[in-house]
Amino acid sequence: MNPTIKRQIRNFMIEMVIYGGLVLVYFLVILRFLGDWLFDLFNNNLLVYAVTGLILILAQSVILDWLTTFIVRLFGLERLE
Amino acid sequence: MDFPIAGVTISPLFLIVIGFGVGLLGGFFGVGGGFIAGPMLFLSGVPMNFVVGTDLAHMTGKSVVAARRHRTLGHVDFRLGFFMVIGTVVGVEIGARLIEYLEGRGQVDQVVGIAYVVILLLISAFTAWESIQALRMIRRDSLDVKDVLGFQGITRRMHQLRLWPMVSFPQSGIESVSLWVVLGVGMITGILAGFLGVGGGFIRMPMLVYLVGVPTHVAVGTDLFEIVISAGYGTLTHALKGNVDILIALVMQTGAAVGAQIGAVSTRYFAGPRIRLLFSILPLIGALLVIYRLISGVEF
Repeated sequence: MNPTIKRQIRNFMIEMVIYGGLVLVYFLVILRFLGDWLFDLFNNNLLVYAVTGLILILAQSVILDWLTTFIVRLFGLERLE
Repeated sequence: MDFPIAGVTISPLFLIVIGFGVGLLGGFFGVGGGFIAGPMLFLSGVPMNFVVGTDLAHMTGKSVVAARRHRTLGHVDFRLGFFMVIGTVVGVEIGARLIEYLEGRGQVDQVVGIAYVVILLLISAFTAWESIQALRMIRRDSLDVKDVLGFQGITRRMHQLRLWPMVSFPQSGIESVSLWVVLGVGMITGILAGFLGVGGGFIRMPMLVYLVGVPTHVAVGTDLFEIVISAGYGTLTHALKGNVDILIALVMQTGAAVGAQIGAVSTRYFAGPRIRLLFSILPLIGALLVIYRLISGVEF
C-alpha cells in the first residue's frame, strides 16, 4: 500500500478513536441536559429557541472542529492532508 | 433516545452515522448532503416539516466546517457568493412559507415527498449524462479534464446575455455576466432550500458550473459558503415556524465534523467530470429512499 495512504488511514483511525470518546462524553453529559431545557424553550418562546438553536449548532461545529485539530496537534499526528 | 420536540424516538448512533455520511458528501462534493439526510430522517419517522427545518439546522453547522476548509484551499469565490446570497434569502423565505401553507392543509409529507423524488431524479439523470459526455470529449480530444464541460454552449450563451447590470468574478475567471443570472441561481436554490430542507448544493453546483461557468473546484467551495448562509437563514425562519428539532441536528452534527474533513481532502484525487459522475448517483439514492417511505409507509 502507498505509504501516504497508509499514514492517512492510521491518522484517521487514531482521530476517530479520540473523537468518538469525546463525542460519547459530550452526548451523555451535555445533550441529555440540553434536551429538557430546549423542549421548554420550544414550547414557551420560539424566537429565543430559534436564535439559541442557531448559536448552538454553529458553536458546536466550530468547537468540535477546533477540538479535533487541537487533539491531533497535541498527539503529534499529522492532519489527514 | 426520545426527541420530544419532533415527537420521535431515534437511535442517536443512527443520527451520528447520517451526520458522518453527509459530512463526507459535503466535503467531497461541495453539497450539504440534505438530499440524503432528508430522506433518511423521513424514513426514520420524523415528520416532513421537521425533516426540512432540522436538516437545514444540521447543515448550517456542518457546512461552516467544510467551507472553512475549502476557503483555506482557495476554493471560495466570496464576491460571487455574496451576490448569490441576495437571491438565496428571498428564495428560502418563499420555500419556508410554502411549507407552512402545506402544513396547515395537512399535505406536507406527500407534496414535499413527491417534489423530492422528481427533483432528485432529474438532477441525477442530468448530471450523469453531462459527465459521460464530458469524459467522452476528454478521451476523444485529449483535453484537460479540469476544463471540460459537456455544456460549454450554454455557458457561452449565458455570458453573451447583456442584461444590465453586468458583473465580473475574476477568481472564477468570469469577465462579464449578467447579475440577474447570478441572482436567479441563488433564488432557485433558495426556494429548494426552504421547501425541501436541502442546502440546494445539488442543484447550485451544476448551475454554477454549467450556467455561470465557474470551475468545478471553485463551484464546490463557493457552494459550501452559500449553504452556510441559506441554511442559517432557513434554520431561523423554520425554527420560528416550529419546524426545527435542534437536538436531532446537534446529534447529527457530531458525526459530520470528521466526515467533512475526510471529504474535503479526497477531492484532490478526482478531476472535474469524475466528481460530477460520482455525484449523479447520490440524488438517485435519496429518491429511492423517499419512494420507499411514501409507498410502504414503513419507518425505520
